Amino acid sequence: MASITAPRRASRTVLWLVLLGVLAVVLFSILPFSLFIELGPKLNLFATVFLGIFIEALPYLLLGTLISGVVEVFLDRDQIGRFISKRPVPAALTGAFMGLIFPVCECGVIPLTRRLFHKGLPLPAGIAFLLAAPVLNPIVIFSTAAAFGWGTMLAWRMGLSLLIAVIVGLVFSVEQVPSSVLHGALILSPGHDHAHAEAHLSFGSKIRQALLICADEFFEMGRYLVVGAMLAATLQTFIPQSALLAIGNGPILSVLVMLALAILLSICSTVDAFVALGFVGTFSFGSILSFLIFGPMVDIKSILMYLQVFRHKPVAYLVLLPFLMSLLAGIAFNYFAP
Amino acid sequence: MSTRRYRLFQAVIFLGLFLFLIAKILNTQLLWYINKRFIILTEIGIVLLLILAVRLFSETRFVRKPHQDEEHDQHGDKPASINLWILSIPLLIGVLIPAKPLDSTAVSAKGLTTTSALISSNSSSHPFETESEQRNILDWVKLFYFENDLTPYTGQKASVIGFVYFDDRLPKGQFFVSRFILACCAADAYAVGMIVDPPAGTSIKQDEWLQVKGLVEVGSFDGHNSPLIHAEAITTVPQPDQPYLYP
Repeated sequence: MASITAPRRASRTVLWLVLLGVLAVVLFSILPFSLFIELGPKLNLFATVFLGIFIEALPYLLLGTLISGVVEVFLDRDQIGRFISKRPVPAALTGAFMGLIFPVCECGVIPLTRRLFHKGLPLPAGIAFLLAAPVLNPIVIFSTAAAFGWGTMLAWRMGLSLLIAVIVGLVFSVEQVPSSVLHGALILSPGHDHAHAEAHLSFGSKIRQALLICADEFFEMGRYLVVGAMLAATLQTFIPQSALLAIGNGPILSVLVMLALAILLSICSTVDAFVALGFVGTFSFGSILSFLIFGPMVDIKSILMYLQVFRHKPVAYLVLLPFLMSLLAGIAFNYFAP
Repeated sequence: MSTRRYRLFQAVIFLGLFLFLIAKILNTQLLWYINKRFIILTEIGIVLLLILAVRLFSETRFVRKPHQDEEHDQHGDKPASINLWILSIPLLIGVLIPAKPLDSTAVSAKGLTTTSALISSNSSSHPFETESEQRNILDWVKLFYFENDLTPYTGQKASVIGFVYFDDRLPKGQFFVSRFILACCAADAYAVGMIVDPPAGTSIKQDEWLQVKGLVEVGSFDGHNSPLIHAEAITTVPQPDQPYLYP
């Protein structure tokens, strides 16, 4: 079947390229030349900012996916369910701290959570893991500290993310079984348990397998980084920060602007601290904190991924509850600790 | 796309990123994108990119048999080829768009400050202790931000290097000599500047790199006390290898 579709797809790609070329020629001839002179420096600015974010994030993404690949191959996940209590509060707490063992960012955490549900992870633990792991993990702790120092921003980010994750996890504990919130077909899908299936493999083969998983996860997650960085660079190129400041003033509106940015920018949690640093001075501590709490839990890419894994109502809870709590936290900081 | 071609494409992208970053380190242009202290991370990344490229090239040797490809396709978990195109974008942008450090265009987008709370106070350099002619633009801006009494500093000699930025809010003839401050990467950069009052008949261009020597005075910009140099000598200099300053 592949032999029939492949040429067809290739010809479609060629068609698109030709169309793009024609469009470029038409634009070049219609638009005034001065516009391109003005766009030239803007393009340079876009490229510098985009590559800045990308080059900065690349090592974090590579290390994250490598660890994820190693965990996938070397850890037998059948055992995980046994270590976690069935009672909601301990389960949610354990889930929230599991990010310290599975250092994944928000792109990797969603498929991993689904796999863990399949292995018997209790629902509150899984939900708390889903929301907390992108922040409460060694890579993000290090990158946040690199950006903001080992200080209050880091402490509040970790503390509030933990709190929100546990609360949402407990909300979900009213459902008894994961199947009531997950798409049915996905639960039944037989997970490729590499650790189990390849237990007989040599150490070298396992490493080779881990590298392969790392590469695939890098491409799967890297696309959201590229698209997010392009969006961020476009915004920075065409919207002066003074304009943002004009909208984002005031203790409530500034938090809303930063939460909207968190959704729109869709920046990987391993690097969002660096991006947030760019808003220091333009936005208050509370607004930036809310950005750092909410961004890793919900953004464009994770909403898309949630919808593939969960039913619609749980997705609404997963988006709205963290949104409201982050908003509340940001506003509280703006009023009481400006 | 067959699994083998997918692996090959992945390997090529890893190799491309590897070569791109190696080139950027060798020609010091990496400093145009990220803070110097993160170069070690990029170097770790470069090693991983090479390992992954080699691993994937070797993988393409094993999935050559066509029936294996089809078997893989029927699993339904074939990776999306759109990922490959998207991950090609950074390479295309990096190769096709001429590299340039942040300049006056970026100042217009990101803003410029002469007295700013953006500057972290826990910095390593001590502008108050250094010789006046050793201070860079950031040191002077910090000094004007943190010192209440500026009288000891007025009349001191300054010698700074930065690029030219014309601002409409300055009196005619004056301009900024400015530098970008980079905490992490180009995304979080912002510009600081000192006002320059040039000698009569000076002709300079936007974005030109200058060494400005002269006496420091208390000027005013946007209603704040700002460092101003009464320039005695202005010379054009090549752009420094490290165009940004670090907070």
